[in-house]
Amino acid sequence: MEQRLVAIEHRSAFLENFINQPEASPTEYSKANKELRKLRDSMDLISELRTKQKKIDGLRSLMAKCPDDKDMLEMATEDLHKALEEEKRPQNLLLKSLLPGDDADQRDCILEEASLFAMDVFKMYERYSHKKGWRFEVVDIAESDLKGYKEASAAISGSGVYGKLKFESGIHRVQRVPVTDKSGRIHSSAVSVAILPQADEVDVRLRNEDLRIDTYRSGGSGGQHANTTNSAVHGDGSERIQTYNFPQGRVTDHRVGITYHAIDDVMQRENSDVFVDALLLQQEMDAIATFSSAQ
Amino acid sequence: MLKLRLPGLSRGVCANFRIPNPCCYSNSVSSSIDVKPKVPLYLRPPSFSASLSELSMWHKWAKNLASSVGSTFVNLDNGPDSTLLHRELNWLLQDLIELQHHSEILPRLESSNNENLDVRVALRAPLEEIYCVWRQRIEERRPFQYVVGCEHWRDLVLSVQEGVLIPRPETEMIIELVEDVALNNSPELAQGFWADLGTGSGAIAIAAARALRSHVNGDAGCRVIATDLSPVAVAVATSNVQRYGLQDVVEVRKGSWFEPLKDVKGELSGVLSNPPYIPSDDISGLQAEVGRHEPTLALDGGASGINDLLQLIDGVASMLKPGGFFAFETNGGKQCKFLVDYIQNEKPGRFRDINIVSDFAGIQRFVMGFRL
Repeated sequence: MEQRLVAIEHRSAFLENFINQPEASPTEYSKANKELRKLRDSMDLISELRTKQKKIDGLRSLMAKCPDDKDMLEMATEDLHKALEEEKRPQNLLLKSLLPGDDADQRDCILEEASLFAMDVFKMYERYSHKKGWRFEVVDIAESDLKGYKEASAAISGSGVYGKLKFESGIHRVQRVPVTDKSGRIHSSAVSVAILPQADEVDVRLRNEDLRIDTYRSGGSGGQHANTTNSAVHGDGSERIQTYNFPQGRVTDHRVGITYHAIDDVMQRENSDVFVDALLLQQEMDAIATFSSAQ
Repeated sequence: MLKLRLPGLSRGVCANFRIPNPCCYSNSVSSSIDVKPKVPLYLRPPSFSASLSELSMWHKWAKNLASSVGSTFVNLDNGPDSTLLHRELNWLLQDLIELQHHSEILPRLESSNNENLDVRVALRAPLEEIYCVWRQRIEERRPFQYVVGCEHWRDLVLSVQEGVLIPRPETEMIIELVEDVALNNSPELAQGFWADLGTGSGAIAIAAARALRSHVNGDAGCRVIATDLSPVAVAVATSNVQRYGLQDVVEVRKGSWFEPLKDVKGELSGVLSNPPYIPSDDISGLQAEVGRHEPTLALDGGASGINDLLQLIDGVASMLKPGGFFAFETNGGKQCKFLVDYIQNEKPGRFRDINIVSDFAGIQRFVMGFRL
C-alpha cells in the first residue's frame, strides 16, 4: 500500500504544480483540477497518516536515545501505543478507498446498470419512432459516468403518436447481468417512463428509477394477490410495470438461457398497433441471433 | 390423481375434437402419500405429432378464444387481457414443439400459406390435451404456469403444479436482500444453515443456495433447509432441487414452520419466508387465477393476514444464531409497520437493524433484520 500512497502523493504534487503554470490551456487546467479534486480525500488521509507516522518515529528515536531513563521510557511507550492506535484510522480508511470495495462498487454498479438500461430503452423509442416515420427530437439527456442516461427527454411528433405510446407510461423493470458487474450477478433495475401529450407532439421522459422517485403510484396489491406471467406486474391503466428478463426470463433453450420468445414478439410487433409488451434491445437481439445460429 | 371431464368440453366443437377427451386432470389430492411431481411441458419428450394443418387449426381456434376475452378479465378482477393471453399462447406453442422448429413453424401458422399442410410436427403433448388446457386457461382461468407446468423466476425455471404457490416476481427481491444486506453486513453468514419456510416450489431455497454458494465465503458447507406443510410442495420442491443439482445443499423437510428445524435451533444463519399473508376475507375477491386455483394454504394468513408472520417473528428470536438474518414478505405497509412495532414492543433488545423494504411498485413489502 505504501507504494500506492507515494504514487498518489507524487501525482498530487505534479498536478498542483501543473495548475500553477501560466501556460496551461483551459481544458488541461480543468482536467487537472478535476483529478486533483478526486485525489483530495485521499491526500487528506495521507497527510494525517504521515503526521501520525512522524510522531511514531519521533517517539521511537526518543526511546532509543535514553534507554536508562525509566520515567521517560514509560511515558514514551504510552504515547507510542496511543499513536499506533491513532495511526490505524487513516490507514484503514486509505486501505478501503484503494481496494475495490464491495459497497461503493455495488452501489455504483447498480446505478450505472439502471442508467445503461434507461439509455437502451430511450434508444429503443428512437428506433421505433423512426420505423413509424415519426420525428424524434432529443430535448435533453443527463449522462452518467459510464455514458448511461440518468435522465432523458425527447419530443416525438407524427401521426397517432400519443395513441400508440401512451401505454408506455410506467415503470419498466429489467433483470439482467449488467456489464458493470464483474461477478456476473443478476441485478434488477427499473426505469420510469412518462408520456405526456402536447398538442400533436409527445414528450417521452425517462428517469433513472433506481433513485426510487415517488411519482409512481401502484395500481394493485401485487404480491400473493396477483398471478402474473413473465414477471409482468400489471397495475391499472397507465401505471403498469413491464418487466423484461434477459438474458434469462422466458427461457426456451436452457443450454443457452436466452429469451427466445422475445424475438418472435418483436418481429410480430411490426404490424401490431400496440407498442411493445416485450421490448428487446437490439444488442440482445444480435446476441441471440449469434447464439442461435451458433447452436 | 383424478381424471375429470371438464364441463367446458362439448361434442362437435371442431373437426378434430368430436369426443371429449378425458385427458386433462387436475391434481387436487393433497393427502396422497406418494405425490409424483408432474414434468413441465417443455421437458417432456416430443413423442406425439400432428399435421401442420391440424396444428394450424388449433392455433387459429386458440387465438380466437384469446381474442374473445378482450378486457373482460381485467375489469372483473385485474386478470389478463387478450394481448397477454396471445403472448401466453405463443409460449404454450413454444413449450409444445421442439425449439429448433419453432421459428419455422410459427410464421407458417400465422400465414395463409397452404403448402405442405400434411407435414408432421413433433409435439410434447397430444393436441387434444392442448385444446383442453387452453380451454381451461380461458374458461376456468387456470393459471398459465400450471398449464405449462413451469414458472420463470429470477434466473430459474421452476416446475409448478396445482397445490404449489406460483412464485411471485416481488419475492425475487428476497434474494437480493440476502446478497446486498445479509452477506454484505456479515459475510460469514454465507457458511451456515439457512431456512426457507413454506418453500412451495422451492424457489427461495434454490435461489438462496445458489447465491450463498457463489459468494466469496460460500461453498464451504452452506446448507439450506426448505420446509413446507404440504406434501405436494415437498415433492415439487424436491424435484426442483434435484433439477438444479442442489440435493447436497438444499434439504426439503415436511412440517409446520420451525417444527422440523428443532435440530438447528439457535444455529441458523438466516431465515427467509414468503408466508401466507392475505386476510381471510380477501381470499374470495382475488383474481380468479389465484383464488380459484392456487392453494389457500399458501395464501390465507388469518383474519388480519398476520398470523403466520407473527409466528415467524416469535420463532426467529430463538431459532437464529446471534447475528443471524431474517427477511419476510408481507401484504404491504400496514403489516410491515405492525411487525416492526411488534418487534420493538414485544421483543425489545432481541434484534438490530430492523428495516422495511419496498418492492418496485413502491409498496412496503419486506421486513428484515438481524438477531442480536
